[in-house]
Amino acid sequence: MRLLVVEDELALREQLCRRLTAEGFVVDSAGDGETGLHLAVDYPVDLAIIDLGLPGRSGLDLLRELRARGSRLPVLILTARDGWQDRVIGLENGADDYLTKPFHFQELLARLNALLRRAAGWAHPVLEFGPYRLHTAGKQLHLDDQEIPLTAFEYRLLEYLAFRPGQVVSKQALTEHLYPDEEDRDSNVIEVFIRRLRQKLDPDAERQPIVTHRGLGYSLRQQDDGPS
Amino acid sequence: MSRTPSLGWRLLLISALAAMLFLGLTGLALDQAYRSSQVEAARERLQGHVYTLLAAARLEDGVLTIPGGLPEARFHQPGGGLYGRIRDGRGNPLWRSDSAVGLDWSAGAAPEPGVLFHSRLELNREPVRVLSYGLHWEEPDSDSGTFIVDVAETRLEGQRQLGAFRQTLWGWLGVAAAAMLLTQALLQRWGLAPLRRAVRELQEVRRGRQERLRDRYPRELLPLTESINRLLRAERRRRQAVQHGLADLAHGLKTPLAVLRSALDAVADTEVQQQAREQIERMDASVRYQLARAGRSQERMGQQTPIRPVAERLLRTVPALRQPLPELVLECPDELCFPGPEEELLELLGNLVENAARYCRGRIHVTVAMEGDETGLRLEVADDGPGIPAACRDRVLLRGERADERQPGNGIGLAIVRDLAEAYGGRLTIDEGPLQGTRITLGIPLPA
Repeated sequence: MRLLVVEDELALREQLCRRLTAEGFVVDSAGDGETGLHLAVDYPVDLAIIDLGLPGRSGLDLLRELRARGSRLPVLILTARDGWQDRVIGLENGADDYLTKPFHFQELLARLNALLRRAAGWAHPVLEFGPYRLHTAGKQLHLDDQEIPLTAFEYRLLEYLAFRPGQVVSKQALTEHLYPDEEDRDSNVIEVFIRRLRQKLDPDAERQPIVTHRGLGYSLRQQDDGPS
Repeated sequence: MSRTPSLGWRLLLISALAAMLFLGLTGLALDQAYRSSQVEAARERLQGHVYTLLAAARLEDGVLTIPGGLPEARFHQPGGGLYGRIRDGRGNPLWRSDSAVGLDWSAGAAPEPGVLFHSRLELNREPVRVLSYGLHWEEPDSDSGTFIVDVAETRLEGQRQLGAFRQTLWGWLGVAAAAMLLTQALLQRWGLAPLRRAVRELQEVRRGRQERLRDRYPRELLPLTESINRLLRAERRRRQAVQHGLADLAHGLKTPLAVLRSALDAVADTEVQQQAREQIERMDASVRYQLARAGRSQERMGQQTPIRPVAERLLRTVPALRQPLPELVLECPDELCFPGPEEELLELLGNLVENAARYCRGRIHVTVAMEGDETGLRLEVADDGPGIPAACRDRVLLRGERADERQPGNGIGLAIVRDLAEAYGGRLTIDEGPLQGTRITLGIPLPA
């Protein structure tokens, strides 16, 4: 796994590089945003650790630029600011996780591994959530080797959720991305399809694969959390 | 109520006094003028009556008398209010009009011939005005003599008219006074309206519904409202500067701490290293706590943050806090607003949600509601985690205290929330909540 560390503080950067290398990662590093962007774009990096308080192009700028270029590179931001404002802004601008300084190296390591695991899910043509497997190539859904037939719209809805594991997807986002008729957007449509999907995926209401976050949206239940 | 009388009362009092003084003097002057014209008219009438008597008078045997009737009928009616008599030069009565028969009319003044003498008397308890005229009567073929003609006219009629006049006069002056006061009150309402508007706008600023006073004020008030706006702007700028300064300070302190901690983590565990690590923890906690306190404003003017969007943004970061993702429920009416800046609302909710995300098993409920009596907001964050034993709940809110040491984190989040809540005059309470875990309820009073 190849990591990119963008941190302007030399001592911290060198320590991170040394210890991450010791953990078996290949580490590239940069001391400013410009170099960081260049490395992130031109090198086959698997994950970037970016300090928000960089000289020149700020960490947030770097992150925005990356996302604007369509990069899905997992990014963990480091920040010296405790304020929630900075964390939320960072996450909203496409960071996948954050850590405030000073941090424990073990915690950083745990977060890195979690992010890498999550990112790996995306790369696979088969998306898994709980006991279900969504075959993106054949546009099929399987539960324990049994195919569950889905209409085209139901499949797209499920795929949209499955592509965003561990995220809450709002009803509005679903409507905007999935419902073709711009004039006739009605969030009830999504509710209706979610209900139908639930009936097809889980007729006995045992597994509850689609979680409703009331007031926020939906997510798919992942492998390791059972129904509550 | 303050003891200083209000501007409205001052103006009303002054104008009421002025109206009383002005209208009172006007009334007195008119009264005086009416009375003197009344006296003048009465005197002229008396003089006319004297001439009437003289015209009818005849000198018979050296005695001046009025043999026939008189053109003025009131001389003939007893109690008609008009009386005449003729006296000789020594004051002995020679003739009385029919109306004056039986009256106890004392001698009275005896003016020299050619002199008109006015006096007032009471005839049978009736106040009268008397004109006595002394004359020297000469007839070419007869004797001559000195006589006095008296005419008395009742003053009752004049007093009645004066009474009626006064009633009318003061009645209308009263109406005028009322009209003046009403006009004054209206003027004052209209004139003070900009001040009242300024007070209302300042209240809105305090409640955070607007940032500054608007420009449409009368010229006289503009210096005041502009000064207030300048103060509000300066306060906002000062706070921003402080916050930027603090952020720089945080960055300046924390990166070296991170370097130190990372360096300590890398070397073998010794007692010295253990001590150093503890000291770094303490420094970090102290910096975090003090920075969170210092960045806070005491008076939150002009800020109002809609809660729902902030809560949604925050809950969308839960995936970074906790995987697998717990089930999230947000209940928050769209119209509810937090009486302070967005960063402080984020700080409050953020620390509570982080806490819930750390300890929950699979569910987090965030509920924001208006208190029943609309005096405050209630922010609740509930989780289905192991909960906090009742005995430990107070201790959890203290700085640096954690009921459970099993997870990483420096345990000052709740203390920051508690401090911030206190700055808003609010309070934190802990119970099990609907999920049988921990529910932290934050009550924030709303400015009146």
